Amino acid sequence: MISKAFKLDGKTAIVAGDSKYWSKYVSKILLEAGANVIVASKNTRSLDEIKDVSPGYKQSFIVIPTDTTDRLQIESMTEQVINKFGRIDILVNTSNLLLAKPFLKISEDELYQVFDTNLVSVFHCCQIVGKEMIKQKKGRIINMVSCMAERGVENFSVYCMSMGGVLQLTRALNLEWAGSGITVNAIGTGWMSETEKTGDINEESLLKYIPLKRYGKPDEVGPLVVYLASDTSDFLSGQFLYVDGAVMSHL
Amino acid sequence: MAQCKGTLNGKVAIVTGGGTGLGKAASLLLAKEGAAVVIAARRVHAIEQTVKDISELGGKAIAIPTDITNTIHVKKMVERTVSELGRIDILVNNAGIVRGQGPKPIWDISDDEWRLGIETNLSGTFYCCRSVMKYFVDQGHGKIINIASGNGMRGARGDYMYGTAKAGVINLTRILAITFAQSNIQVNCIAPGYVDVRHMQPEPAVGETNRTAKFIPVGRFGIPDDIGYLVLFLASSSSDYITGGLFPNDGGGLAGGIAPTGFAPIIGPEAY
Repeated sequence: MISKAFKLDGKTAIVAGDSKYWSKYVSKILLEAGANVIVASKNTRSLDEIKDVSPGYKQSFIVIPTDTTDRLQIESMTEQVINKFGRIDILVNTSNLLLAKPFLKISEDELYQVFDTNLVSVFHCCQIVGKEMIKQKKGRIINMVSCMAERGVENFSVYCMSMGGVLQLTRALNLEWAGSGITVNAIGTGWMSETEKTGDINEESLLKYIPLKRYGKPDEVGPLVVYLASDTSDFLSGQFLYVDGAVMSHL
Repeated sequence: MAQCKGTLNGKVAIVTGGGTGLGKAASLLLAKEGAAVVIAARRVHAIEQTVKDISELGGKAIAIPTDITNTIHVKKMVERTVSELGRIDILVNNAGIVRGQGPKPIWDISDDEWRLGIETNLSGTFYCCRSVMKYFVDQGHGKIINIASGNGMRGARGDYMYGTAKAGVINLTRILAITFAQSNIQVNCIAPGYVDVRHMQPEPAVGETNRTAKFIPVGRFGIPDDIGYLVLFLASSSSDYITGGLFPNDGGGLAGGIAPTGFAPIIGPEAY
C-alpha cells in the first residue's frame, strides 16, 4: 500500500526493456500508484502475462511491442505515447539479460547481445524519451540495474560491464540534465527470486551470505521506483540506491 | 652489513605501532630504502626489537615509547623526532587495536569501551596528524599514510568501535588531503584486508590456506610486506600526484562482496 504522498495520479510512465521480470512488478506498482503505464518490450507473448497482473487498470495500461535495441521502434513507441497521453513523466529502464560463464568462453555474439540489450537500449531510450522530458522541463528516469554495477561476481564479467555502464550513464546524465528538471537515478537490486530457491549448493551458500538470510522478492523493489518517480524526490538525483537485504553493506 | 640506501635517503619517517605486524614491516622497508625511522608504540620491548632489526640491516632507527591516545606523548614524540633527527617527512599512522574482546551486544558496550575504541583507532591518528602538520607546512612537503581497514568501508557484525573509527580515518584522510593539497602534503589511506601478522617471512608458505583464507579471492592471507610495500610507494616521491586516495590491499575481496568466494554459476543467454 503506497502512501498518498507518493501518488502518481495522471502521470505517464514508460517501462522499457525487459518483458519477463521487472516490467511485471514495476508496471503493477506504478499502476497502483495511479500512473498510466506503457510497457515497451520485445517479447509479446510474455507481455500477455503482464496484462493479467493488473486487470483493474485496463484503461491506463498499454503494451507496445518494442525492441529497445532498435531506435526506430523506440521512436515510434514514444510518438504513440505522446499522441495518446500528451506527455511522458517517467521512464523506467528494466533491461536485464543475464549471462554468466567463464570469461574465456564468452563469444563476441554473446558480448554484443548483452551490451545491446542491457546498455545500448538504455542509451536509446534515455535519448529518445529524454528529448520529450527536456521539452516538458520535467522528467524522471529510473534505471534498474544490479548491484553488480558496482561489484564483481565470478563468471558475470560481461553482465557486470553492461550494468556498470548503465550506472555511469546514470551519473553522467544526471549532471547533464539536472538543470532541465530531470532526475536520473539507478536502483541496484541484490539477489532476488520470485520463488523460494533451495537445494543447489551455490544457492545455499549465497543465501547464507545475504545478511537478511533470504532473497529479495521482486515486488519489494517497486515502492522505491514509485518514490523516485514521485514529485517528492525532486532533489534526489544521480544516485545509486540499493534494494539488497544489506548485501552491499557486507564486509 | 646490508646497504640501506634508496629513494628515501635523508628522509625521516615516523611509524606508529611500528613494533609489530604491518607497522614493523613498513618500518623495515622504509629503513631499507634509506629513511631514518622513528618507531613509536606503547610496547617498549617490541619497538626496541624493531630498532635492533633495522640496525642489523645497517639502517637508522630510534624507539620512542608512545601512547598515541595521549596527546602529550604524541607532542613529545614529534618534538623528539625533530630534535634528534632534524626533520619529519613521512608519518605512517598504523597504531590501533584490531578488535576488542569480540562482538558483544551494543547495550553491553560501556562508555569507556566506546571511547577507548574511538580514541585508539581514530583520535590517535588525528593527534599524530595534528602534531606533524605544522612541520610539514613549514618545510613545504610531507607524506601521511593512514592505515584503515576494509572494516571501515563495509560493515562487519558487531564491529562498532573499530569499524566506525576506521571509517572515520578514511574520511579524515580525504579532509586532510583536500585541506593541505596546495601545501604539497599528500595524505593517503590503505585499507588492508586479512593480514596474518604472525608470519613475517616475505613469501607465504605454499598451500597455506585455512577456513578464513578460503574466502579471500587470492586464496591466502595478506602478509605484512603486502602492506609495507604500498606504504613505501605512498611514502616515496613516485606518488606525489596521489593524494586523498584509498588503497584497499585485501586479496581482491572488496571488489566483490555480494556473493561468497567461489560462487560462480553458469547462466546461458536465453532469448527474451
